[in-house]
Amino acid sequence: MNYNNLLDLSQSLIDGVLFGSIYALIGIGFTLIFGVMNKINLSYAAASVAAAYVSLLIVQTAPPALVYVAAALVGGVLGALVYLICFHLLPLNKPLATLMSTVGMLLLIDEAIVHITAGMPQNYPAMFVGANIDIGPLSLRSDLLFVFGFGCLVMIGLTLLLKRTRLGLATRAVSQQPVAAQLCGMSITGTNMSTFVIAGFLGGTAGAMAGAAIGVLSPLLTLPLTVKGLVVTVIGGLGSIPGAIIAGLVVGGAENLFQYLRGVSERDIYVMLLLFAFLVFRPGGLFPPPAGRD
Amino acid sequence: MDFYLGLAQVIGVHTLLGLSAWCLLHTGQVSLAQGGFFAIGAYASGMLTTMAGWPLGVALPAAALISATVAVAVGFPALRVKGLMLVVATVAFAEIVRLVCFNLTWRVNTGSGPVGPDGSLGFGGIRYFPSNGWSSIEILILIWGLVAAVMLALAWFDRSRIGTLWRAVGEDEVAAQSVGINLTAAKVSAFGIGGAIAGLSGGIFAHQVTHIEHGNFTILLATFAIAYPILGGLASLWGTVLAVIFIQGFLIEGLRVLGDWRSLLFGALILLVMLLRPSGIITSPIGRWFARSIRFDRPAAPTTGGKTHA
Repeated sequence: MNYNNLLDLSQSLIDGVLFGSIYALIGIGFTLIFGVMNKINLSYAAASVAAAYVSLLIVQTAPPALVYVAAALVGGVLGALVYLICFHLLPLNKPLATLMSTVGMLLLIDEAIVHITAGMPQNYPAMFVGANIDIGPLSLRSDLLFVFGFGCLVMIGLTLLLKRTRLGLATRAVSQQPVAAQLCGMSITGTNMSTFVIAGFLGGTAGAMAGAAIGVLSPLLTLPLTVKGLVVTVIGGLGSIPGAIIAGLVVGGAENLFQYLRGVSERDIYVMLLLFAFLVFRPGGLFPPPAGRD
Repeated sequence: MDFYLGLAQVIGVHTLLGLSAWCLLHTGQVSLAQGGFFAIGAYASGMLTTMAGWPLGVALPAAALISATVAVAVGFPALRVKGLMLVVATVAFAEIVRLVCFNLTWRVNTGSGPVGPDGSLGFGGIRYFPSNGWSSIEILILIWGLVAAVMLALAWFDRSRIGTLWRAVGEDEVAAQSVGINLTAAKVSAFGIGGAIAGLSGGIFAHQVTHIEHGNFTILLATFAIAYPILGGLASLWGTVLAVIFIQGFLIEGLRVLGDWRSLLFGALILLVMLLRPSGIITSPIGRWFARSIRFDRPAAPTTGGKTHA
């Protein structure tokens, strides 16, 4: 391997890790919801992309920065709706019914997007396109860097929210022991709902960032984002937010690395094998949930 | 008429796929790998009949056996994880299989030109039925004969000791283990039998459509596979059949008159069924009437749900 190959390799690794912050955000959303409900919300990535689509409505009238805020807000609203429809109305002891209802929601959201946009990809406003930061021979795409930095800010905000506020305390309490939390006077429905809204904020942001990094929004984004988000959740360790962040960056980096080494059509095989390696050798993920918790 | 024959064939193939997922759901495992086993069965049987020139009657059981072997091999590592982890692990497996199909190129020359999987172009020319002069009716009879055989076998399983063990594991793993049930045997046997059925349905699918490609075997197919038993209800095998007829016959074909709006309604109706009947269609008045009029397995016992943390 000569110097140029090594450069290309490092470059694709850097791009991948920066893009991985999107996977990290989606992974955090899955992990948060799994933490409080012990259930998967398969419609999460679709709702995130849908939030980004809705935020496009204000793009003609507002500066691009506001589009991201709008996407986050719409994501929160969609999160609340998904909770009410797919989780709140179904009996708690039927996990399979909830799984299926979120699949129904995933298909509904996907098809609603296709129906409204007639299946055409929509351009998404990116920030700082073309302005690259050069570090020696390597360059950092500043739009990806913005996505990365924004993602980090959101993750820091989330950590503060969970650790420093009463709402965060309630969320952590319900995820550890719902019955005890209820006995201490916390509303389980309220906490679950606010967790879905917070996860929705993250998802909307992630959807907007994916749109900005790729340049277009397309309904074809939802399934890969769902799969990658689930992979990140498992590699990071169920319920672990730092795990999801690190796993997101690792998956993003590994994906681009394999794309450079083996081509785009084989890329995901190796990402999935990476996941298998984790499941076999470290089934709990990077940060396994504490054992023996009910 | 041909349209209805084709629809009945599709319903038969999907019923087999749903039954394969039923086996796993019965032991409390949510597996999205069924699409992968289906793909393996489709490619294996197609390659056996076109490239090796085997008759279908040998190629189908061989494909089922290959799928079952892979399923058992997947089942052992998958035992280490459950719930969400199992879902993701099986998604990963199904994606690996799909991508291998996408990258697989292996052409051999036969009398009528080169045949075999051709990478992203897919695997065409699986023309066993046309070149042996099978009519649509005969294919249909073959498919539903296999459906009937598999359902009879599963109904017998369900009443035998194996079915009891499966159900016990599905209801509560810890309790099952503490009365001495071998969890590994129960789960791996469910994986193996489910894999064999999925491989069988994949084999028929390949010969029915004559052209297969990686796009046939996405996560969506695997989601459908588990959707049938869950929507229909796990209490009875008929639930799966009902759900396949509901989805393939009503939601996909019956609503075609609605044009563009059909796909929008699709997700919404699945959602609605789950909201109204969390234990499946089989618990609705129509489902109970259906199960009563074809009394074939036991009256619906309340054995749904189980402790799947998914």
